[in-house]
Amino acid sequence: MEFDKKNLLKLGKLARILIKDENLDSLSEDLNSILKFVDQLKEIKTDHVDPTSNSLEQILLSRKDIVEKINETEDILENAPEKEMEFYVVPKVIE
Amino acid sequence: MVDTMIDGWNLVIGIEIHAQVKSNSKLFSSSPTDFGSNPNSQVSLIDAAMPGMLPVINSFCIEQAVRSGIGLNAKINEKSIFDRKNYFYQDLPQGYQISQYKDPIVGEGYIDIETEDGKKRIEIERLHLEQDAGKSLHDQDPNYTFVDLNRSGIALMEIVSKPDMNSPEEAVNYVKKIRSILRYLDTCDGNMEQGSLRADVNVSVNKVGEELGIRCEIKNLNSFKHINSAIIYEANRQIKLIESGGRVDQETRLYDINSNETRSMRSKEDAHDYRYFPDPDLLPLVLDKEWIETIKKNIPELPDKKKERFIRDYSLSDYDAEVIVSDKATSEYYEIVVNGRTPKLVTTWVTGELFSVLNKKNISIQDSPISSEMMGELIDNIENGKISNRLAKDVFEDMCETGKNPNKIIQEKGLSQINDEGEIERLVDEVLNNNPDNIEKYKNGKTKLLGFFVGEVMKLSKGKANPSTLNKLLKKKLDN
Amino acid sequence: MTENLSIKQASDLLKSKHISSKELIQTYLKKIKAGKELNCFNFISEETALLDATKSDERRASNSLKGDFDGIPIGVKDLFCTQGILTTASSKILSNFIPNYESTVTMNCKESGLISLGKLNCDEFAMGSTNKTSYFGPVKNPWRPKDSKIDLVPGGSSGGSAAAVAADLCIASLGTDTGGSIRQPASFTGTVGLKPSYGRVSRWGIVAFASSLDQAGPITKTVDDAAIMLDIISGHDKKDSTSSIKEKENYSKNINSNVKGMKIGFPKEFMSDDLPKSTLKAWEECKDLLKSNGAEIINISLPHTMSALPTYYIIAPAEASSNLARYDGVRYGLREKGNDLIDMYERTRSEGFGDEVKRRILIGTYVLSSGYYDAYYLKAQKVRSLIKDDFNKAFEKVDAILTPSTPSTAFEIANEPNDPVQNYFNDIFTVPVNLAGIPGISLPFANDEKNLPIGLQLITNSFEEQKLLNIAKNIEETVQYQAVPEKWWTQ
Repeated sequence: MEFDKKNLLKLGKLARILIKDENLDSLSEDLNSILKFVDQLKEIKTDHVDPTSNSLEQILLSRKDIVEKINETEDILENAPEKEMEFYVVPKVIE
Repeated sequence: MVDTMIDGWNLVIGIEIHAQVKSNSKLFSSSPTDFGSNPNSQVSLIDAAMPGMLPVINSFCIEQAVRSGIGLNAKINEKSIFDRKNYFYQDLPQGYQISQYKDPIVGEGYIDIETEDGKKRIEIERLHLEQDAGKSLHDQDPNYTFVDLNRSGIALMEIVSKPDMNSPEEAVNYVKKIRSILRYLDTCDGNMEQGSLRADVNVSVNKVGEELGIRCEIKNLNSFKHINSAIIYEANRQIKLIESGGRVDQETRLYDINSNETRSMRSKEDAHDYRYFPDPDLLPLVLDKEWIETIKKNIPELPDKKKERFIRDYSLSDYDAEVIVSDKATSEYYEIVVNGRTPKLVTTWVTGELFSVLNKKNISIQDSPISSEMMGELIDNIENGKISNRLAKDVFEDMCETGKNPNKIIQEKGLSQINDEGEIERLVDEVLNNNPDNIEKYKNGKTKLLGFFVGEVMKLSKGKANPSTLNKLLKKKLDN
Repeated sequence: MTENLSIKQASDLLKSKHISSKELIQTYLKKIKAGKELNCFNFISEETALLDATKSDERRASNSLKGDFDGIPIGVKDLFCTQGILTTASSKILSNFIPNYESTVTMNCKESGLISLGKLNCDEFAMGSTNKTSYFGPVKNPWRPKDSKIDLVPGGSSGGSAAAVAADLCIASLGTDTGGSIRQPASFTGTVGLKPSYGRVSRWGIVAFASSLDQAGPITKTVDDAAIMLDIISGHDKKDSTSSIKEKENYSKNINSNVKGMKIGFPKEFMSDDLPKSTLKAWEECKDLLKSNGAEIINISLPHTMSALPTYYIIAPAEASSNLARYDGVRYGLREKGNDLIDMYERTRSEGFGDEVKRRILIGTYVLSSGYYDAYYLKAQKVRSLIKDDFNKAFEKVDAILTPSTPSTAFEIANEPNDPVQNYFNDIFTVPVNLAGIPGISLPFANDEKNLPIGLQLITNSFEEQKLLNIAKNIEETVQYQAVPEKWWTQ
């Protein structure tokens, strides 16, 4: 498939990245080039091959259900660009 | 309940329940899960998705999910995978929710619910573990939304039913039954007011004999009443829409508790594409067969089994048994009281007097002013004839008000039943001596006057005379 | 006395009281200032470093040292979260971020008494192989072609980490390697770069790029130093459930350079006519060297080598697109004003991320999206299995595999290709190792005709870092190649 203006904008929406008009052409050129490059995988036979998500051969390690030292609210909010009282603040959301 | 369905239409309901796992700490972090804490006071670096943070799974939450699966008669999957569900939202710090997509921890199962036509089996498709999101407050400021991440990362079990329900009553009974089972298992506290158990309800309608309709999902219903009203509203809306030539759109809707209506969500994701993929931070979860067996062995008696046993052992009616076992605490209360006492008497007192007090005060049996021990003591006094059933009701009321135990009340108020024949005979004689006219009338055939004499003696004894002894003595004297 | 010190040498100087930690730190802070033009550091922690040095000297005086390497200055890639110290991932979106927590790796360093001089420049979110994607500008390679003043790339993404060690602005440094980001810049700068097995080193507190591939490791001047650093940073971390519970070894203590009887694999798929002659020559020479030292050379095949790069450029962006979703302007980092929440997100991320990061997020989003998942992401995961299997089979026959580290030596900053795919080829020899989760090391072997260092890569099976270091040490000892650039930046 080819990236055109329309599906590139759709992709940008999905990734929450604003794509400016002046970048559309060069960006779709880049992405098409990458896509063409990775498309060569289609040649590889992978019938009956299991996928690998993580190469580590180990069981899922777990922790006990114990409450540990928690951060102070101030620590958590310390880097917030906008906060009010003990909350993070974002532009009004209408559900 | 009003008849909600219009003739000729079929209603199809499937339900996704989000049940908060009962655990001390969150699914992937060690933050506490307490309800009602100060905003952002139980948030770890992981819950706030700070750079470089990694999830480490809580083993107890895995156990709770397996336990719940067993309680739902479901297949426990020995291998399951945690996936990322990617979407942007202000209360989803990671930008993805860790959930289970293709390989959930629990597979197909079922539960049985009561319906007007008897038992009905509702199939369960799956149960999976996932993280809860944070909470957004929209009403604090006209221009801003406030975000509290306390709930972010708390473990949820999503329980997905098949579309097996066909009425609001069935839907409500299904949720009630799931809640009851989870409470028996102690895997979810089931507190709907606090949001520990929420339901997303999928509703569609179709003309009888025609294929299934397009469904709408009503999100986040957190009371039985809302589930019921939302389904009624939504079904009628869809029917009206179709009958007027319209088409139902597959969409997510919100239920407005003030207007009792559902409405389309305004903030729809422009395009739903969650891009699920296995979370590379979490290796596959593999469960040991023997470990699953151990959990199975330690599953407590669940409501269906308990109901059977109560009917068998205590000769309860199906209805009474259902009422008593549907709530774990009630069934436990009942069992303490019934131990060594007459089941019928205990049932009458628990489902009658006690329930009416609890209902009136709108409290649960755990908060009952009368403990199971005190209730037992009261019934003992009835059984051994120390007080009459009638007097017991006064004592019960006193217990509710003062919290005193029944023996003390009986003693203080001198309410002990008079069982001594001599004493009762003395009272009988006194009444008879004072009412020669009525004796005459009685002897001339007006035997109904027996009640009058009983009443008089009772009055004289302040209600304490043993009624059967009194009856026996009176009859003997009058009929001679 | 304080030129091009290795960790071992510095430790000896401190031990023999020829120098104090404070003097050592002061010396290096001076070097950093003199090397400003190289743009290695995003942030210099002058005050804390001096304070730490004073404390280290006090510990030495009171015989309460934290270990043999207490008081030695290192540099830290700006991808490790450091408590109270700016951590930017060389991105605008994190340019104001000060964590209140310390990554496990840097914590381990602190607990061993190592002193951080500051945060090292790198490609933005570790995405790049030339260091040009950094928000803080490119790093310059301390090496220049013979008789030339042309600026070369240091490689990437740990370009600052490699250049700082090569230029002796610190004694050793920490980097991360997702597709070659330690080994490739090490190769370009004549340093030793070790990528441990996936799971050997905790990822906790390292800004994530691609979670199933990321691994932290050291860049050092010698193989011994790499072993020392691995001792310090490795081990199980209960905060990272993908860190291995396998016991780690005492690498620096057990290191030896014996290769007698070892079987070294020579993979034919890495051979190409496109390789520079000098690289081919170095590779051949190393083969002969190992042979004459008693190793057996075995020709092997890794049939899916050519598929590794496209596989990587599906998997890494896919994971990155999800890992970077948290940079949304809500809880930390940059926020751009927007008309509503979505507008705020889009502006923040558009403004905060650089072009390469955006490209990868978009590609990653695409390969995971509905309708394309199976054709791209799932396919890549399957090919990944084949690649891993190639290595498994190879390691049934050989102890280690020898390859060039990179298809070329360092090139001109100005010559970087515009086509992103052309840049991806810098990682062609290193990427398969990440996909398989096995360890690899790049060590300098010789100079090419332009007088630039050539790096060779050794690979072993998972958790065989000891073997890897031993063979590397054998080569290092035998070639006696001194990779020290001329210090043109001090003039």
